[in-house]
Amino acid sequence: MAHSTSPRSRRAAVALALASGLALSACSSPAGSDAPAEEEAVEPATITFAASTFGDPGLGPRLQGLIDEYNSSQDVVTIEPAAVPFPTFGQTVLTQMGGGEGPDLVRFDMPEFTSAADAGLLEPLDDLIDADELGLQPGPDEYMTVNDSRYGVIFDTSNYVMYYNTDLIPEPPTTFDEFMETAKATTQGDVYGLAFRQTQAEENGVWQDIFNYVYGFGGEWSDGEELTLNNAKNVEGLEAYQSLYDANVIPKGADAATFRKMFAQGKVGMELNNGGYLVATRGTNPDLKFSVAPIPFPVRAQGAIMAPIVINANSEHKDAATDFINWVLEEENQVALQEALGASSVATETERTEEQLAETPFLPVYDELTNSSAPQIVVGFGPQTADIRKIVVTQVIAALQGQQTMKEAMDKAQDEAEQLVG
Amino acid sequence: MSAERAGADVALKRRRRSPLGSRWTPYVFLLPAAAYIFVFQAVPLVQEIYLSFTRTNLLNPTRSVWVGLENYEKIFASAGFQQTLLTTLVYVIACVVGAVGSGLGVALLLNGRFPGRGIARALVTVPWAAPGIATALIATWMLNAQYGIITRVLRALGVDVGESGILDNPDLALTAILATTIWQLFPFVAVVLLSALQSVPAELTEAAEMDGANRWWTFRVVTWQVIKPTVGLVALLMTIWSLRRFELIWLMTRGGPLGTTRTLVIDLYSQAFDSKQLGNAAAIGMVGIVIALIVVVGSRLVSRAAERGA
Amino acid sequence: MRRVRIGVVGRMIGVLIVLGIAVFPIYWMFTTALSSDADLFAAQPRLVPDFGQFGVFVDALADGPTLTWLRNSTVVAVGTTALSIVLGIPLAYALSRFSFRGKVAVGLLLLMTQMLPEALMVVPLFSLYRRFELLDSLVGLVLANTAFVLPIVALVLKGAIDGVPRELEEAARVDGSRPLTVLLRINVPIIAPAIAAAAVIAFFHAWNEYVFAVTFIFNKALQPASVGLAGFVGEQGTAIQTIMAVAFMFTLPAVAFYLFAQKYVVSGMTAGAVKG
Repeated sequence: MAHSTSPRSRRAAVALALASGLALSACSSPAGSDAPAEEEAVEPATITFAASTFGDPGLGPRLQGLIDEYNSSQDVVTIEPAAVPFPTFGQTVLTQMGGGEGPDLVRFDMPEFTSAADAGLLEPLDDLIDADELGLQPGPDEYMTVNDSRYGVIFDTSNYVMYYNTDLIPEPPTTFDEFMETAKATTQGDVYGLAFRQTQAEENGVWQDIFNYVYGFGGEWSDGEELTLNNAKNVEGLEAYQSLYDANVIPKGADAATFRKMFAQGKVGMELNNGGYLVATRGTNPDLKFSVAPIPFPVRAQGAIMAPIVINANSEHKDAATDFINWVLEEENQVALQEALGASSVATETERTEEQLAETPFLPVYDELTNSSAPQIVVGFGPQTADIRKIVVTQVIAALQGQQTMKEAMDKAQDEAEQLVG
Repeated sequence: MSAERAGADVALKRRRRSPLGSRWTPYVFLLPAAAYIFVFQAVPLVQEIYLSFTRTNLLNPTRSVWVGLENYEKIFASAGFQQTLLTTLVYVIACVVGAVGSGLGVALLLNGRFPGRGIARALVTVPWAAPGIATALIATWMLNAQYGIITRVLRALGVDVGESGILDNPDLALTAILATTIWQLFPFVAVVLLSALQSVPAELTEAAEMDGANRWWTFRVVTWQVIKPTVGLVALLMTIWSLRRFELIWLMTRGGPLGTTRTLVIDLYSQAFDSKQLGNAAAIGMVGIVIALIVVVGSRLVSRAAERGA
Repeated sequence: MRRVRIGVVGRMIGVLIVLGIAVFPIYWMFTTALSSDADLFAAQPRLVPDFGQFGVFVDALADGPTLTWLRNSTVVAVGTTALSIVLGIPLAYALSRFSFRGKVAVGLLLLMTQMLPEALMVVPLFSLYRRFELLDSLVGLVLANTAFVLPIVALVLKGAIDGVPRELEEAARVDGSRPLTVLLRINVPIIAPAIAAAAVIAFFHAWNEYVFAVTFIFNKALQPASVGLAGFVGEQGTAIQTIMAVAFMFTLPAVAFYLFAQKYVVSGMTAGAVKG
């Protein structure tokens, strides 16, 4: 099982448990050897922590519970959650940070994280947390370093899987051909076999969706040095995406809010989505019978929402912010966070409780994908991801609409994006 | 401000004091609002003008590099921007024609005697009073590709709106946005024109009727002459408001599908906040302002010429 | 030849069609809020509200931050209204009653402020606000909104003051009153309807404003309803019924207020528009 704890992290856990028994958690700070001998006390402060997930009807209250837990664990630092809506999150927070303001702590998505880190808006964490001792999961953690400095720690990461309605689809498909067949067979009357995003209004969502097709067919947006938007594998993956669009097995024009509601109503058979969706779907319709399986594409590679927690370089209370990050990274709080998040993973490997597994037997499906998941950025071009995304999505939609072939679309995207990154 | 000195000079030259206190009085009244607008509009505007000649990143706005006309050269060279300009032009003209046309029609309809007139005149203002965000939300839902009431009705009537729905159809999205905008605007036009219509002297229309003039002739020769200045002014307001309209389009389509609803303001916003290029965004904003200025100054000239001709 | 009259019946049919178009979306907002999931996603939509679903309004008010949003919107709107009237009256008076060098320029500048998109001004205002610690404060929103609505307010008020006979002021001047006293004692009471109109316009400009609020406000407890509502759009899976219920509660005060103040708004707007 992917979730047996490694010896190293178990040692760390023991050490942490001891440490938290001895010291007030408010003073918990890196136990590294280069930490000053005289611990500076954390200044009393009220700090803000911005995350789009605080506003989520399902996750919000659970995360609030975790924050309350921290606030009552000590009386030095108070965290105020700021629920900036997801659609405007990056723009709002980045404007504030560029203007020298903003929240003290931020949970960013990867594109914004790389932009902010690259622009020097984030506090380097190298000396603030003791990364080597924490047993951080290496896969996602490798993306926390920008220009040789660590700027974040994973707050949550959520792998993409295939959700399917078990009433409509008793056996999940295991190949792309079966996937297509199942989608066609399920599409009947007002029920659709599949749903994905395909409108400009949801540019970011389309990007997240096509990511699974591109990587699931062995493609990649870049080799780390050069853009490879139009490589043959990418085009193949996108043609697969288009073939589903053309097969009329999806509710065309439906936005995510609508088709997720439809999934909850049993009117959509399958959807590729991340672990965060589990809580939302349960919240919308507790009676829905569904399960998850790995995305049945040729290559076991899929996107993940990786969301690091970072400290704003403008913050006047970096020590307080650091204290919270270190608190979250403590073993028991990682377990609590993971429970709150549902199917997502956290920074360290934690064990699923019996109750959790009893409630959701398919949780290991998510967990087993962590090593094969990639963040939805263009590796090596993180800060330009938003621009490249816009170019790619616009061209892909033009292809969906029949104005050009996918091959032409990606050739154009490659040209435009190359001009952009210079 | 040198306007004060200039004002003083004029007052001296004319050797005529304002009948309402000293020659400084108007400036005293003007000052608070002028200072306010100076700080909150003029200063930011000047900053934006400066930004339009720089390369500036949203994430490091204090570190900007002077690039002269590069931003302007870049945007005018791009095919996307030409589409944006064209879309803006179509959007604005259609908004003005649509809103003024339908508003005038409704005003004529309401400008008569019928039971419940007061209630009707009040209710017709509802779309204008509804907050833009709420309008965008309900319009999006009514146009939903599967369950939207408008989509359902159109499909039931056999109209082909495409499988992907109206807002995702490059041929129909702009029309849908326009219809929503005009729905929002027509009450304003109707209400203002209704008041203008009521200032048309009844004797004139009656006299025209007595002479056996038909309705159209009466409207053209009598009514239209009276309401013409108001129509002009309303059309001007519609033009400059439509040039800067943002929330409705942003929330309904974000400028898509395929850029068919991307107006200057949408482009400016996504340049500033998606691409984080404040310089480019500022340059696009300046183009919008220049267009608005041309419209305003042009309309002044036209109306002045018309007055002279009359 | 008798001219062709549209009969009263014909006119009324026309009026009913127009009213239907005007009011239907708001009705539909209400009906959608009061529909079960099964009705919403059924092959045939439900055409009348299902009052059994009324709990959606109660839940939205009780559970969500809706009340906080509406309160913040009210604070911003009231502040904007007060400030823009206080600044607008003297400005309108100067434009109406005095001839001075630069008057045409001032008028044009006022019109020009109507051309500036909020989206363009967000960035420079942000740095200004940062310097004066106006971020994350409702006062900051009031100040920004006032700047945008002041010109319209001034034009409406100017139109009204133009209509006040000068003789009334001159009588007061004989008594030796100062200009400000004249303005406050004579003009303001007469143009009260126009002030009401301007107030309504300012109120709802601020009530609806989105771009500044979404950028300048960070604290969840200070978000106005426009931002909160727009935050529903997206991927968070908020039920359509809840979105529509909140949208309806956000719309209702605006519509009710307009209907109530309609007479004043119309006369004020017209005065401003015609003579502005």
